[in-house]
Order: sequence, then C-alpha cells, then structure tokens
Amino acid sequence: MMAEGAIQAGCAFFAGYPITPATGIFKAMIDELPSRKGLALSAPDEISAIAYCIGASMRGFKSMTATSGPGWALMTESVQYALMTETPLVIALVQRLGPSTGGATQGSQGDVLLAEYCTSGGYTIPILCPTNARECFELTILAFTWAEILRMPVIVLSDKEIAMTTESVDYESLPQMTSQDRPKNSAFVEFGEYDKERKNGTYYFHALHEIPIFSPVGGSRKVTATGSAHDKAGTLQKNSPETIDVLAHLEEKLLWRADDFVAVKQDLDPAAETLVISYGISSRAAQDAVRQSRKSGAKVSMLTIQSLFPVPRKKLRQATEGVKRVIVVEENLRGLYRSVIERYLGPIQVRGVNKIGAMITPAEIRSVIEGAV
Amino acid sequence: MFEDRKMETMTAPAGMELVYRRPSTLVDTPMHYCPGCSHGVVHRLIMEVVEETGIQEKTIGVAPVGCSVFAYNYLDVDMQEAPHGRATAVATGIKRVHPDKIVFTYQGDGDLAAIGTGETIHTVNRGESIVVVFINNAIYGMTGGQMAPTTLLGMVTSTTPFGREQPVMGYPLKITELIAHLPGAYFVTRQAVHTTAHVRKAKKALQAAFEYQGHNKGTCFLEFVSNCPSGWKMTPLEANDWLEKNMLPMYPLGDLKVPGRN
Repeated sequence: MMAEGAIQAGCAFFAGYPITPATGIFKAMIDELPSRKGLALSAPDEISAIAYCIGASMRGFKSMTATSGPGWALMTESVQYALMTETPLVIALVQRLGPSTGGATQGSQGDVLLAEYCTSGGYTIPILCPTNARECFELTILAFTWAEILRMPVIVLSDKEIAMTTESVDYESLPQMTSQDRPKNSAFVEFGEYDKERKNGTYYFHALHEIPIFSPVGGSRKVTATGSAHDKAGTLQKNSPETIDVLAHLEEKLLWRADDFVAVKQDLDPAAETLVISYGISSRAAQDAVRQSRKSGAKVSMLTIQSLFPVPRKKLRQATEGVKRVIVVEENLRGLYRSVIERYLGPIQVRGVNKIGAMITPAEIRSVIEGAV
Repeated sequence: MFEDRKMETMTAPAGMELVYRRPSTLVDTPMHYCPGCSHGVVHRLIMEVVEETGIQEKTIGVAPVGCSVFAYNYLDVDMQEAPHGRATAVATGIKRVHPDKIVFTYQGDGDLAAIGTGETIHTVNRGESIVVVFINNAIYGMTGGQMAPTTLLGMVTSTTPFGREQPVMGYPLKITELIAHLPGAYFVTRQAVHTTAHVRKAKKALQAAFEYQGHNKGTCFLEFVSNCPSGWKMTPLEANDWLEKNMLPMYPLGDLKVPGRN
C-alpha cells in the first residue's frame, strides 16, 4: 500500500536494497513503477540506494526509498545530506527489533528516536506513522506532499506487523488524494522578482522560514548544492552570519508551519479522566482497549498520533484538557515517544505501557486504564 | 574448551569399515538450510579441514548477514557475526591482534560483492592473512530471492521479474577475477560443490587455503559457485543442473592465483 500511495503521489524514482521487513515495498516498486512511468533500481547497499534517490530528486523527480533499522543506520549520512541540501525525499522505515541486526522478522517500535534524532544538530524531521494498510497509502501520499512543500526528507515509520500482515483494503474506497507537486520555477518558469535578487542563490530566502524555490540540477540556471555549511548561494562557508542563518532556516522552515503539519485521530470523551496516547501498530490494541474499558464504565479518551514529529503540541493540549493521567502505549523498552511528549504534559501523571518481543495486547492496556489513578 | 560437547561416537558394525561420519567439529543439530542448499556441504568441508588439521581451538570464524547468519549454530569454533558486508573488516581486527589464530570469513555474494565490496577489496589489497569463503549463488536467498550483483543476465529474480537486463541492472560482477589481480591476494580459486568430484576438489582447495594462512603472505580467497533451490524456484536436482549449464560458463572453475605460480 505504501508503494501504491507513492505511485499515486507521483513518485517517479525508487531505489532499494533487500532487507526484511521492508523488502515488500522494494518488490512492489520494482513490479509496478516501470509500467507507471517511473524507474525502480536495485542498489548494491542502502548507502547507494538513498544516494540514487537524492540525485533523482535534485533533478526534479519525486523519489522514495525503503529500509529497516540496519539499513537506516547506513542511510543516516545521506538523510542529513538531503536535509542540508533541502532535497525532497520520502523514506519508508519499516521497524524491526533492534539493536543491530536484531530480529529481522520481529516487530518493534524502537526506531522512533533513532529516526528523528539522526542529524547532528537535532533538526526536526517529519515522521508519519501509519497504523494499518490503508493509512500506509494515505500517509505516504501525505509524506510526499510534506517533502515537496518543505524541501526536506520525510519519514514514513511503519513496522514489521503492518508491513508483513495481509490486510484487505477496498481500492474503490481509497481517497483520490493528490500530492503537492514541487513548487518550482526550475527550468520551466522564470523567477520573476526572486530572479533579480537571487542571482546564483540556490537557497535564496528573505525570512528564515521561507522555503527556497526549487531549481533542479542540470536546469537552465546554475545550481550549487552542498552538504557542507553554506550561504544562500550554496557556497561552502564555515560560520559567516549568512551561513548561520541558513542553518537556522533549516529548522525554522518547519517549526514556523508546524501547526499545518499535523495528523492525529482523536476519540475524545469530554468527561475523561484518562487519556491513552499511542501510534502505529500499538494504537490498534490501544483503541480496542479503550473501547472495551468504556463498556465497563471507564471515562477514557484516545489520541492516535500519526504525525509523531513535529510533535502535535496543540492537539496534545486539547486532548489532555481535564485529564488526570496519560497512558502512552508503544512497543519499545522504555517509552521512547513518551520521553518526548512528557515535557508537554505539565503536571499530569504519565504512565507507559511498554513491551518488546511481542505486540502489546488490549488486555495489558486495559489493566492499566482500569487500574488506580 | 570443547570437552563438554557430546562427541559423536559412531562405530562400524563388525566386519565393516566406517568411511563417513560427521566431523566432530560440526555441531550435531539439524541445519535450517533448504533441501539441496550448498551451505551445508561447504560448512562440512570447512569443519573437516579444521578437524583434520587439529586447529579447532585456534580457529575463529566471522559470519555475516544472510542465510549463513546461523553458521555459528553448526560450526563448532568461536564465531562472530558481523554487520552486513563488514565480515572481512571485523576479521581484520581479530587477525591483527591475534596473528597466531586462524581466521576465516564466510560470506554470500550480496554480503561480499555488494554491500561489502569496499571491505572485500581493501582487505585483500592489504593482504590480510585470512581465509575468505565466498558463497556465490547469484541471488539474495534470505530476503526472498532478489537480484544480487552476481545474478546472471536474463536470470529471473523477484526484483528482475523479466530477467536481469544489462542496460538497467548492469553486468554480473566477477569479483573473484577482480580480487585475483590484487597483489595482496595469495591464493584465489573458484570451486563448486554440486557433484562428488567437485566436492573433493573443493576440499583440497580449502585444505590449501587454511595451510597457506600460516605463511602470512596474503589473503586466501575461495569462491564456491553455489545453488539456491528456493530462490531459484527449482528442485535441488534442477538447481544443480542449472548451475552446471548457466553458472559455470559465467563463473568458470579453477585456480586464479596459486602461490609460486603466478
């Protein structure tokens, strides 16, 4: 479904390397993309796979790659490069149990922070997290839109259970979502007023939050893209004021728009004392648990977060209004995402339901929901 | 070190001679490999050599990611699993601090000739005194039969559904030929294990390689042209036949570099 979403979003280039449990996306793209006006390549490793994609994207093609934890480790150098060069890119990261080679066929939600904090400097990278096959389709399209608008890598964070479970999806009922195309003057449209000021500025912007208009390499104007610290022209600099501005801009362009880059599913009870927060595969068990607990009279709300980063702070604030405690359900050792959102929850009591090596069951979540506050 | 292992104590019935048994250096457990897979044969050959030369106590193996990730379940020597592609790099570290140990790596074609190409070439170029055992079955077996660098032109895999086409996917990589040119390579040979005669030759090559390691003159590199009945979607017999007809013309058997000869 991710491949289907990507193709509907206009993805024209895919490169991958075999890795369980992400191979299905690779295989689907190899099977589908060539007959749908795209190119899918096998790379000799993940380092090359993502680099192929960056090259294709810089030339103006929507690009995607897919991997799992060990491959992600190899890709992080180029993810940073894509961030620094403001190259749109979608990366499907299908989590498996780590660390290291870990368990190839064992699910996990252990890569949340590894994915988000993979850059030196801790830049915010958007992460979308589907809970089922249908959302793989929808969120992959959304990921392309975000990547194109923001000119940065966007991660779709799935996991083994979602990627390798067969689910029915009614194709007829899928939304006809279209993805944002890259705002470009590029080789095709002239810059107008930007043109005069921009001169050779590959990364020209007035205010820090502005997103430079995309020009492809090999287009009608000279483009200089570098992963080294650079000024607005893309020229290598160390710490000139303009370079520091560019570095601040890389974060500011997303944070300034953060409220527009939010995807959550709310199932709130105004009288709730307890709020359950979850994401990905675990949110399915959490939703079940909340349904069952309500039947036994518990006052409980449910917030499923699809956009893990940037953290949907406003939605968190809304959902926690009047709530006495928050339960965060995720399949990792110590509550990775809980450690991130705790700081936004103020004095509210926060508990985690965590487990590794097996999916969390609704019963395990219920016992916490219905336990003493 | 290994006394606590239950050694096989098979004896022949009266009047008969025991001519075949599991080497004591191979753990007595069923292997997880698919029926007909070459891995089992090569595992056995390595361990026969280790047993016959009495080097079990000082042999260290490095296995990578791929089907052979479980090699440590069968090879009764110290084993270390390396990250995907990094086996020869890890082996370098082991050998440099333990020059007296016998160190070998055991890698597939995806590991050695795709993600680990850089490590492979630089390890041999430095002439590390290790034995590299290279299993070439022209496919990624563990992840479900994707195209590998060694996949033959026209060969159907899950990622080349219409056969490998050179303009899109390039040529099969003959990394053993590449390796043989490097001055750090001491002994380079290509073998197969799909018939009894080939198994015998392959064992001789392994015996030589483990002996040469003691010379400290460079890397011993052994390719085994192997099958993958599951990945190739064939029965074991069909796979061996296909190997003979298709793999061997592309990957011809024989020594590429022998000490004192080249």
